[in-house]
Amino acid sequence: MKIGLFIPCYIDAFYPNAGIATLELLEKLGQDVEYPMNQTCCGQPMANSGCNKDAAAAEALFVKNFARYDAIVMPSGSCTHHVRDNFDAIDQTDDVRHVRENTFELVEFLHDVLKVQDFPWAEFPHKVGLHNSCGTLRALRTASMSELGEPFFSKPMDLLGKVKGISFATPKRPDECCGFGGTFSVTEEAVSAKMGTDKVMDHHNAGAEYIVSADTSCMMHQQGCAERAGVPIRFIHIAEILNGARE
Amino acid sequence: MSTSRDAILTRLRDNRPDPKAHPLPPVARLGDMDNGQARFENSLQILGGQVLERQEGDTLATAIARRFPDSKVICSAVPDFAGTIRIEELGTPQQAASVDVLVVRSPFGIAEMGSIYLSEVQLHDLNSAAHLTQHIVVILSAKNLTANMHTAYMDRPEFHTANYGVLMSGPSATADIQGVLIRGAQGVRTLSVWWED
Amino acid sequence: MKVKPVNHAKAAEAFIEDTAHMDFHDERLWDLRQKRDQQMHILPEWQELRTRASAIKEHTLANLPEYLEQFEANAKKNGIHVHWAADGAEHNRIVGEILEKHGAKSLIKSKSMVTEECCMREYLEPRGVVVTETDLGERIQQLDNQMPSHIVVPAVHKLIPDVAKIFAEHYHTDPNDSSAQSLAWQQRLAARPVILSADAGMTGGNFVVAETGSFVVCTNEGNADLSATVPGLHIATIGIERLVPRMADMGVFIRLLSRSALGSPITQYTTHFRGPQKGSEMHVVLVDNGRSHRLGMEDFWTSLKCIRCGACMNTCPVYRRSGGLSYGAVYSGPIGAIIDPTFNERKYSTLPFASTMNGSCTNVCPVKINIHEQLYKWRRVLAEHHELPFVKREVMHMAGKLMGQPTLYRAAINSTEVALSTMPRFVLYNWLNPWGKHRELPHPVKQTFHSWYKQNRLKNKKKEGESA
Repeated sequence: MKIGLFIPCYIDAFYPNAGIATLELLEKLGQDVEYPMNQTCCGQPMANSGCNKDAAAAEALFVKNFARYDAIVMPSGSCTHHVRDNFDAIDQTDDVRHVRENTFELVEFLHDVLKVQDFPWAEFPHKVGLHNSCGTLRALRTASMSELGEPFFSKPMDLLGKVKGISFATPKRPDECCGFGGTFSVTEEAVSAKMGTDKVMDHHNAGAEYIVSADTSCMMHQQGCAERAGVPIRFIHIAEILNGARE
Repeated sequence: MSTSRDAILTRLRDNRPDPKAHPLPPVARLGDMDNGQARFENSLQILGGQVLERQEGDTLATAIARRFPDSKVICSAVPDFAGTIRIEELGTPQQAASVDVLVVRSPFGIAEMGSIYLSEVQLHDLNSAAHLTQHIVVILSAKNLTANMHTAYMDRPEFHTANYGVLMSGPSATADIQGVLIRGAQGVRTLSVWWED
Repeated sequence: MKVKPVNHAKAAEAFIEDTAHMDFHDERLWDLRQKRDQQMHILPEWQELRTRASAIKEHTLANLPEYLEQFEANAKKNGIHVHWAADGAEHNRIVGEILEKHGAKSLIKSKSMVTEECCMREYLEPRGVVVTETDLGERIQQLDNQMPSHIVVPAVHKLIPDVAKIFAEHYHTDPNDSSAQSLAWQQRLAARPVILSADAGMTGGNFVVAETGSFVVCTNEGNADLSATVPGLHIATIGIERLVPRMADMGVFIRLLSRSALGSPITQYTTHFRGPQKGSEMHVVLVDNGRSHRLGMEDFWTSLKCIRCGACMNTCPVYRRSGGLSYGAVYSGPIGAIIDPTFNERKYSTLPFASTMNGSCTNVCPVKINIHEQLYKWRRVLAEHHELPFVKREVMHMAGKLMGQPTLYRAAINSTEVALSTMPRFVLYNWLNPWGKHRELPHPVKQTFHSWYKQNRLKNKKKEGESA
């Protein structure tokens, strides 16, 4: 299986370590991974703003970059959600359908496709608060949703549970959106920042040393809120922990 | 007058989704089918209602006198209890507003909700009396309990016959001021059930 | 004249600055959401109830003309006068005429969102009719001259001192009263004489049953029953989408409504009106006001399934932190954001963007309206209809172009100067500036992933290629 790695723009520019960890982890797991150098963006920011036509160029380029891979893996739930569920600014050719059907968020890929049982290199002796982005939670369904009363399951927690020394904090509102929301973070700045600060405080009050997530965009926003509010909590992408980061 | 009616109906016919794509599901009869007194009492208590206490040798009159010692006007809407005034003697809502305790018999209760049912039949056409009285005492037979909302709507004929039919589940309540739950908002301040068997 | 879009963001910012009110508002509504969850856990058939409710509503909407005719015929048989109103103005005229015929000068009413839609009080009051809201929360809002901020708990954004102040002004009570109990009692004392002397009563209707020609009203205070049964004239204003086919369908809806709304198993009063009381007159006004048009909107017609429980508001993290009044519309929160634009696209063009599209609203909706997906679709419609702010449109247009050109994009990422020459400074800066108001910016890094990969993987691959 040939894997194409997609690294979203904000990870590329601000959180390269999450991208590096994703690549190294897949390699450790024996996967054949390539990062197409001409990639930019999946088109989500434009589409979520209603400007679907403006997403067409990004979507076309995405397909051009990734159609040749058996699977496309990305350390981002919201980008995966866009490609899988809303990627319709361009004609739905065979290539487009192939890309949409074979795009995976990293946690789903590890949990459902590779069915990884063990991360022998991983140890993280810290109490972490898991933040499931709304994209992974309610669109990709990588964990049970509190509103539906369904039996508990959590793919990210399943994976993290295989890491030595890790323990989990239990926030009061585990499913509550952190308020990033793409352009919402700018156009509704006050509400967005309040939600982010509340989210960070919830994890902090539950005793979390780290907030861990499969979505860096949420963490970029939460980190900004935590730093401004002076909340001593650190942020780490799930790929980094699974790849063996110790702190 | 009829022009808006016809215009609305025409627009609905033009705009609606394909009716064939949306068949009517069969009537649902779901959930817990326990129609027991214990379930009813538990539900009643959750909604703030109470069971009128029956002590050794009590009649309805002595139980009411003990529960509502300060009440002056006790109005009866049932033949087997006297009270101080009969509901038929109250001509208007304005007169009904002076009632402290109204005693009425409910044809059925719903175990799931602790609800009792009243219509113009039980209220002798003075429906407002059930809401203007300060307190209401409802005579109910455990034999007349239905399990839940599905069984109530499917089995009880009253929903098809009464012009006015109210399910009361505990007393009037509000939490509109800073979320504080207050029993006895605009309607009855208390609702008590008197088991007649 | 061009209407200005509602500035939700600005109103929300003001709401957040008042910490005491905001914190209470958030906690109170979150508590309702928690209570709703508890009720859901009690009922193993919860999801089946939602599925049934949704199917019944979709069937009814697809057959609405027939069910309305059935209701009308049965209601008339029962002695109800049935009226049809195409819009708010016609509704108000009909109500005004009924009142005039009866010489009614005072109207007591229970909560009805449709009368808010129609601005009925504003119509009747200059015509000499005193309209008194009898629901406590709605009355507080009326006295304070505000719209309801929540469809179920209209004054949820207020604290006890706010209510004490309003009551002191209008009821001459103690302005420092700090007891909700005593304030509620003051309302009871003030309302009773008004109720007993009213000429006419008005209610809404939560459900309309075609089979029996009846309608069902759910309240907790009993104020709808008082409004309907004390005066000799009862007018019910009801949206045409409120129908259900059979009385037996009510089981599904009553079991869901209050559990979803407040987390209580049922409202204290569930009242079935099938005809006038002895010696009284009953009127039902069926109001369209845009609903028949909405039924034709392929992506949005299912919003007509709404039973007005407010669960989407209670769970919405944005609503809880911005307050209902910030939506500047009769319907606020997630359901408001997908309904309001059907009334006025420009005015409410901002509301579908007052959301993170997190999807919690969809999950709690008892009739399974895909609210967050409709928010997404509304954004597209509004963009296509040019109802987006110029700057946002431009930013997205330029970003979209940039994202299609890897070389330019890479240059932009690597060099701020190129970025600024690609996106004019004023656009980029003015638009992105708010990020830093309550948040730090991400920290700069030495190397992008892209250049790391080039250095650490492509070079190696090249070497491997050379050695082979």
